[in-house]
Amino acid sequence: MKLDKRILQSIRALPPFPATVRKVMALAGDPDSSHTELAAVIRLDQAITANVLRICNSAFFGLRRPVDNVGDAILHMGKKNVLRAVMAAGLSRYFRTARGYDVGGRDLWEHAVAVALMSQICAARISIPDDPRLFTAGVLHDIGKMVMGEFVHEAWQRIRALREGQGYSFLEAEEEVLGVNHAALGGEIALMWKFPDEILKAIAFHHRPDQLASGDTVPWVVYLSNQACHVMGIGVGTDALAYRAVGDVAGRFGIKQRDLEDMMARLHHSMREARELVSIVPGPGRNGDA
Amino acid sequence: MAELVVGISDLKVTNNPADSMVTYALGSCIAVAVYDPAVKVGGLLHFMLPDSSLDAEKARETPGMFADTGIPLLFKSCYKLGADKKRMIVKVAGGASILDDSNFFRIGQKNIMAMRKLFWNNNVLIDAEDTGKNVNRTVRLDVGTGKVWVKRAGGPPEEL
Repeated sequence: MKLDKRILQSIRALPPFPATVRKVMALAGDPDSSHTELAAVIRLDQAITANVLRICNSAFFGLRRPVDNVGDAILHMGKKNVLRAVMAAGLSRYFRTARGYDVGGRDLWEHAVAVALMSQICAARISIPDDPRLFTAGVLHDIGKMVMGEFVHEAWQRIRALREGQGYSFLEAEEEVLGVNHAALGGEIALMWKFPDEILKAIAFHHRPDQLASGDTVPWVVYLSNQACHVMGIGVGTDALAYRAVGDVAGRFGIKQRDLEDMMARLHHSMREARELVSIVPGPGRNGDA
Repeated sequence: MAELVVGISDLKVTNNPADSMVTYALGSCIAVAVYDPAVKVGGLLHFMLPDSSLDAEKARETPGMFADTGIPLLFKSCYKLGADKKRMIVKVAGGASILDDSNFFRIGQKNIMAMRKLFWNNNVLIDAEDTGKNVNRTVRLDVGTGKVWVKRAGGPPEEL
């Protein structure tokens, strides 16, 4: 993809993907890795360790007794859940206010967590295995907005004119004015971070899974989950509802609108329990412009 | 002045004229603002889904989630503070959809229909309404004056 020079410079200026999270992702996906190895890697990062323990002891994971060290956390929760906690603890720092979308860092993070949780609720509903890629892709699907925000802000009048005057979706307006949309740009960031191809695609096509030739369900699950969170108004900005529905997601997954409603109700409960997961982002709260 | 924030699937009522009530980021959800000017009792509900038959347990635990459990509870909570149904002013906003609203995600339209049916069956008139379309809204009820303000994403607050 040919990116505008300034946009390219901005993605190169992003901090590198956190080494601890990368190592934990690799170890958690390796069936031969031991709990001791995993715990040792996490312990090296004190900030992540503190947040991981907070998250593990939150209502979301519902442990009977609180854990006070990473080894016990892995023992009681399993590798998969510890991986989620590490991802949340390690990645929340990327979420900053995105000016052009008029949304604060905390709201963006809340949206990211909501889409990751909704992806799991969705996977359960359509009876596909709870794939750890879903959580990763869900949390990071909007990472492109971290870079796009400034450029969207600069080009706001033109984007708005296309949106309101000519019926463009927000995605189409980004593409027309800036030459790239936030999803595709997220794909470029995933490429820079050397993410596996399927996670890269789920990020890059989270609004347009219909453009992918492969039959992989992960991008469709992330798409459905993201649309649901936009409809519910969870952590969204001025672009909230300015996206199109694509493809026949109901037919593809064999679900009805009532299933979607049920998923929304479940997500609402999950989000209450996931309070610790959401609140690990410091910084300004809601910016008042919901 | 206290600002009472009403979250998704939540409702609040007050008779303190110094309060204002606000609910943010309504997409397909609907905010129902009610007000009795005689006793200055105000209430605000942010419901998410049309019909509590979806999940009876969630409806018991979180009645504000559904139109058919949240709206009756909103009115009853106001009566407890001395409001009278005959005097109550009802304003609603939300029920938006993403683009192409003939699709799977049109929960907003279903919410609007469910709410209208409920009000119709209970002889309640909607005094003002800003629903549908594809904009996010924030709704504020000023309890001292009974004024309701709707702020569409990216725009200024406008009185409903």
